[in-house]
Amino acid sequence: MSTTNEPILRVKNLKQHFKSGFGKNKLVVKAVDDVSIDIYKGEVFGLVGESGCGKTTTGRTIIKLYEPTDGIVEFMGETISAGYESLKEMIRQTRHDARDMISDLKDELESSEDKDKDKLKQEYDEKVKEIKEKKDTQITELRKEIRRRQQITADPNMKTMKRMQMIFQDPIASLNPRMTVREIIAEGLRIAGEKDAKTITKKVNDVLETVGLLPEHAGRYPHEFSGGQRQRIGLARALVVAPEFIIADEPISALDVSIQAQVINLLNELRQELGLTIMFIAHDLSVIKYFSDRIGVMYFGKLVELAPKDELFKNPLHPYTRSLLSAVPLPDPNYEKKRKRFAYDPSTHDYSKEAPELVEIKPGHLILANSAELAEYKKVLK
Amino acid sequence: MPAKKKIEVNDLRISFWTNQGMVRAVRGVSFDLFEQETLAIVGESGSGKSVTSRAIMGILAGNAVIDEGEIWYDGQDLTKINEELFHNIRGDRIGMIFQDPMSSLNPIMRIGKQITEGMLINGDHRKKEFKALIREHYNALYDAKVKRKSMIKEFKEQKKELKEQGDTEKITSLKEAFEKDLDAQKKAISEARKNLAKRKTEIKQEIKERYEQKAKEYDKKIETLKASMKDKIAEETPQYKNAVDQLKKEKAKRFSRIDKEHKQNMDDIERRFQSTKGTQKEKLAKEKRAEKNRYKNEKLKAKEEFADKFAQHQHPRKVYKQQLENLKEEKARIFKVTKKEAKERAIKVMEDVGIPEPDKRFRQYPFQFSGGMRQRIVIAVALTADPDVLICDEPTTALDVTIQAQILELIKTLKVDRNLSVIFITHDLGVVANMADRVAVMYAGKIVEIGGVDEIFYNPKHPYTWALLSSMPDLNTEERLQAIPGTPPNMLFPPKGDAFADRNAYAMKIDFEKEPPYFKVSDTHYAATWLLHKDAPEVELPEAVQRRIQHMAESPEGKEDES
Repeated sequence: MSTTNEPILRVKNLKQHFKSGFGKNKLVVKAVDDVSIDIYKGEVFGLVGESGCGKTTTGRTIIKLYEPTDGIVEFMGETISAGYESLKEMIRQTRHDARDMISDLKDELESSEDKDKDKLKQEYDEKVKEIKEKKDTQITELRKEIRRRQQITADPNMKTMKRMQMIFQDPIASLNPRMTVREIIAEGLRIAGEKDAKTITKKVNDVLETVGLLPEHAGRYPHEFSGGQRQRIGLARALVVAPEFIIADEPISALDVSIQAQVINLLNELRQELGLTIMFIAHDLSVIKYFSDRIGVMYFGKLVELAPKDELFKNPLHPYTRSLLSAVPLPDPNYEKKRKRFAYDPSTHDYSKEAPELVEIKPGHLILANSAELAEYKKVLK
Repeated sequence: MPAKKKIEVNDLRISFWTNQGMVRAVRGVSFDLFEQETLAIVGESGSGKSVTSRAIMGILAGNAVIDEGEIWYDGQDLTKINEELFHNIRGDRIGMIFQDPMSSLNPIMRIGKQITEGMLINGDHRKKEFKALIREHYNALYDAKVKRKSMIKEFKEQKKELKEQGDTEKITSLKEAFEKDLDAQKKAISEARKNLAKRKTEIKQEIKERYEQKAKEYDKKIETLKASMKDKIAEETPQYKNAVDQLKKEKAKRFSRIDKEHKQNMDDIERRFQSTKGTQKEKLAKEKRAEKNRYKNEKLKAKEEFADKFAQHQHPRKVYKQQLENLKEEKARIFKVTKKEAKERAIKVMEDVGIPEPDKRFRQYPFQFSGGMRQRIVIAVALTADPDVLICDEPTTALDVTIQAQILELIKTLKVDRNLSVIFITHDLGVVANMADRVAVMYAGKIVEIGGVDEIFYNPKHPYTWALLSSMPDLNTEERLQAIPGTPPNMLFPPKGDAFADRNAYAMKIDFEKEPPYFKVSDTHYAATWLLHKDAPEVELPEAVQRRIQHMAESPEGKEDES
């Protein structure tokens, strides 16, 4: 687990809002709301949370299956996608501020009972002009930035993008039943610009061997494989373009017990052999604990706690993390008889005065809290 | 453990017809379910655990054949009784919770209807009583038929034996005796049949009379109410009208007062507004808005207040009509479960399983519920009939940890409250440790190990149980996982010998040749593996399992438990 200080993926204030309806019926679902993550080279970053908390959406937005509403995703030092909702908001704010300033000046002008009103009027006009000019330059700059971000999102650098790949949850639904394994695996290569049939075949065969299948399997169709083998095909499809970074979205949840272990072992081996960086999304805490180096806990679109795994399991601070940990059943009857689950009640937080922020409470251990809560958590830590 | 058996499964064998041939899904499963216990069945998919539970429910797929075996429940063999009699057991006595709440609920039916459906269909009290009374006569006929069959079989065997010996004289005498017996038996059967028919009409008549007697009371009440209703309404109406008129007047007064006050305030503000300048105006505009708001709120409050007051007075016509309705409803409840009764019961059950606002939820569709709530509804559907055995087929596999914990707790409390016996099917050993009293580990259509939950987790004997225990990481696992190599065997061609031998690192030669019998470990703990044979070599437990057991023993929870 060699982690250097250079993050391979940097997510800054990522937001993904889904909108539906108009007017009265307008509904904004904040699936991901202000999530910032740095993932370093060679590490496995685990993302946990209950279903519907936005962990899958985060993964999908990072790999650009969705366009982000706001925030920046940087991969290998390059911005690959960016949203601009906050910039739009800034334009609105600038306009509003300018208007306010002008109306204030106007009030001043009217209420003053000086004699030489003409002079004052001149002064006023000058000031208004200045404000308007400043506003215009600011807005054009913001617009430029928006256009730049739109362009990046629409047309990213394919060479960089192909270093990032994804494994999906359900190996049955994510493999096209009408394509042979060879076609499925080679599709990514073709899209990436590989045309030579010989090279493609060689690469496909190589990658099949890497994931523990045989080259003979390439001619078969997905339905001829068992669940574990199908997930291996999904893995091969991701690996064939030699990625640096893999997003694994619940790759073992849909698999049978005995096969889950096979897939985890395989992922572990590959990660050490190929030096992969993995973002591992799951809801099974035992598996996450076993497999990841650092763990982020998500709740309702927000990252509530982020820490190295041992630290997180030893000192869970956020009440949601603690409730999540208390709900994990372990294969130990005596422990299970003693286990008490606490429920998480989000209304215990009082965020009316001060909004929470993700702050570092200990080196590497981040938590979503406001200053009052932070003081309490610090007490708990000691 | 109370030794009373609820369900007894003996040597059950089930196959499925497919194009490729017979798939032997269950190959000789025997277990008992005791009263008020939770039996967990663990295994991979395809090990036959679902098929076994479906056989108990009598909902096997159409191409399934029960080759052999018995399932005893309440003095009946569920594999033999006909569909008609099964209706009384399925759902009513043995309930089932299915795996995927998304696909086990009808997406275009309101929740309320889905919960009450079973109650309404099974709601005819007369039919139920009739079925209960007639059952013994049915059974008598059935027994007589079975006896005839066995007699014929016995005779044939004896005849064959005698033929081999060549004793013709004895054969004729035997034949005579047999024919005599058979005639008597035939007579007995026809008598039983006649008796059944006679009793049928008798019981029907009896039930009809009894119910009519009960209904008569209500008829009388309804008649008297109807007769007196008109006069009473005429008598009470003026009084009601008076009261309402009074209230109306009061209401008008109150509103005019509120309006007046508002107008005054507004005028006042307006006047000041005219006389001020500049930023001051904004302040006044704010005041104006506040005044408008206050006016609105006050009006609303008054409206609500009066609505409450009006609700206290009801037109006598309405009151008596309601009374009449109630009487009619009560009368209907004698005969069957009415819609209203069903709804009341459904809402009660919904409350029991922890669905908030059941009145509102009653009219919603499945898609309006979250995953955990949906699973609660599936449980509610199973519970409406008040079963005494509950089969849970992977009820939490589709849910995530926190909701899984809620559902498990719910099942546990319901089990205690309602004295349920539970068969819990899952592949998550953590859940098993939480829920089970006893555990049966299934592999390839057989139970390979069965025992108390402590015995299975702290003293496992079968290599497959070891493999299961070591294949999943827990919160302390650091080293490489011990994956079970390969895949489960194809049950079209069930393997000879121990089915697990192919994937088993501890397999011996005999494992590939001969099927192991059950070896007794303790009174409640049995395992089918040759490793327990007295000639078998000593085998060390896999390291992962050893470490895990040791860790469990060392953990503070474990120690407290022992002391």
